Amino acid sequence: MPSKRNSEALRPDIVWRVAVRDLLATLRDRRTLLGTVLIPLLLIPVFTLGLPQLLGKFVGGQQQERQKVGVVGTLPATLRAALQRDEKAPDGSVTRAGVTLVAVTDPRAAVADGNVEAALRAPAALPTRAGNGTGTLEVYAKLTSLRAQTGAYGKVKDTVDAYNRTLTLERLTALGLNADTLTPIQIKPVDASPPQQQRSGQLAFLIPLLMLNFILTGAMATALDATAGEKERGTLESLLVSPVRRGEVVAGKLLATTLTALTSACFSIIGFLASGFVGGLLQRGQSASSAELSQAFGGQLSLGFGAAVALIGAAISAALLISAILIALSIYARSYKEAQTYVTPLSLAIVIPAVLLQFSDFLSTGPALYAIPLFGSMLAILDTVRGTVTAPNVLIAIAANLLGAFVLALVARRSFGREEVIFRN
Amino acid sequence: MLDIQNLTKTYGKHTALSDVTLSAHDGEVFGLLGPNGAGKTTLLRLLATLLTPTSGTATVAGHDVQRDPEAVRRVVGVVNGGMGLPARLTGREVLRSFAGFYGMSRSQTDTRIAELDARLELGRTLDVRAGEYSTGMRQKVVIARAVIHDPAVLILDEASSGLDIFARRTLLDFVAATRAPGRLTVYSTHVMSEAEEVCDRMAILHEGKLVTVDTLGGILSRTGERNLERAFFALLRGTPKGEETYAV
Repeated sequence: MPSKRNSEALRPDIVWRVAVRDLLATLRDRRTLLGTVLIPLLLIPVFTLGLPQLLGKFVGGQQQERQKVGVVGTLPATLRAALQRDEKAPDGSVTRAGVTLVAVTDPRAAVADGNVEAALRAPAALPTRAGNGTGTLEVYAKLTSLRAQTGAYGKVKDTVDAYNRTLTLERLTALGLNADTLTPIQIKPVDASPPQQQRSGQLAFLIPLLMLNFILTGAMATALDATAGEKERGTLESLLVSPVRRGEVVAGKLLATTLTALTSACFSIIGFLASGFVGGLLQRGQSASSAELSQAFGGQLSLGFGAAVALIGAAISAALLISAILIALSIYARSYKEAQTYVTPLSLAIVIPAVLLQFSDFLSTGPALYAIPLFGSMLAILDTVRGTVTAPNVLIAIAANLLGAFVLALVARRSFGREEVIFRN
Repeated sequence: MLDIQNLTKTYGKHTALSDVTLSAHDGEVFGLLGPNGAGKTTLLRLLATLLTPTSGTATVAGHDVQRDPEAVRRVVGVVNGGMGLPARLTGREVLRSFAGFYGMSRSQTDTRIAELDARLELGRTLDVRAGEYSTGMRQKVVIARAVIHDPAVLILDEASSGLDIFARRTLLDFVAATRAPGRLTVYSTHVMSEAEEVCDRMAILHEGKLVTVDTLGGILSRTGERNLERAFFALLRGTPKGEETYAV
């Protein structure tokens, strides 16, 4: 009688044969290939590059565009001139266009109808020098609209602020005081975050979300096909009556699923790196304000060698864990469809913590958080993108994922040996 | 070759197989007959080590199904009517991958595939993806997969279900040809004419209990019926629950 230990040992060649069988089936499925390779390659540049570039172009374009602003009554001549004046760079190019003032009778209706982007109404004559009382200028605009905020409304507000300052300065000068009288202390903000964090932008939290989602998508097709799909087709029984050990069946399926998930993750990393490279090239051709904006939203992402290694480590361990979860869950299903209903909530387990990463600045990210399987790797990936990653934290996140994967693989191994699971129908 | 002693399998309160004792010998095609729910599939799954007995023992080619299931799996080949194939793999790829599980070399595998191609008339089926197979083509490859390692014991469970007349003929001829010294084929079916044609001896199961084990001639003479189907009904009518079997 063979010893228990020998009958449980994994034979690498058999594990590989089981994996190849599942990999071949996956690789020949066009839909899976599309989800694993093409989607990450296309979607990541769209999110990390296209979206910020597009936002940059929209907002920057507003600066170059001359908006129509309605006026009810009369404005001081200096203010009128300031509103209509273009700001120019030393080379003569327009950096910020003025607005075109048009007479309207009902400012609210004019804005609501879209005849003008903002409208001004002064209920009483506005002061032309400081110290002669205050006046009110009503500015009508769609205040919840980003277009208004960055366009007509923003320009009016900036111009009126500048007008106020000019009147105040004139008055101070007449009194023999200089401009510093108003601001004895001036604040000079200095960004102390690492250069990579400055570059990573406000959309950096999307990167762990996208990467883990692509890992999940890549893993899902193989895991479901290799477990519930095999059951449904009646191919699992033939595998289980061959001399392949149950542990080898699980290990082979885990290997195939993880490799597919990692392929998806690799293409998402390629997508990130390509986005960073192309983003740099594109910004050379952008106006200063557009470049600044697109960078703020995450348009310039770059990774050094160490960061890339940390990213790959976190991705591999997360792929292994996600694969183990999928296999352990979907082997219970009677069919591919039923398995889909089991694993769909898993995407929420990725999306919700990943969205919370926006507020990671408020978290005190001690080692305990990195020890939460999956969430720890999300934090590690975000740190990597921001350039704040530390080796102990990445290692804790990887170890937590590996431990989780090991435990779930044992659960799956047990399920593959349970007749009520294998013949559940 | 096959020795079953007091084998019982229960699922909770339901007894799928009750105290079955029988044996089958090398060189024979042994039939397992019974209506749906008789316990045939449960018995075959126990022999294939897919299920664990609740009590009793079974040895296949000298290996105990509970103590050494891996050794049992090395010497059996299993075909059932519900078995499928991975849709995106060709027949040849399926056969090669299973040959690898049995430790066969590439040249041994290719030689064996050529033999099976001749016996089962696989032809171009071998290089077409399984998703494109007809039921008959699929079943031929399923059989080839089950015997790729030339098993001493071949178990077929309702293997002809869904097959057209041509595929069924190929199957029955194949089963008849497995009759050889050192081999045992266990053929489970509810189609009596198939059992009459290919089985040397047969066991009849009903509601998890063994009704009889005998040759075709023995069953017919004992019941006085002219064919197996009539004899089958006569046997079932004559064995209300709890009555002793005609076991040989």
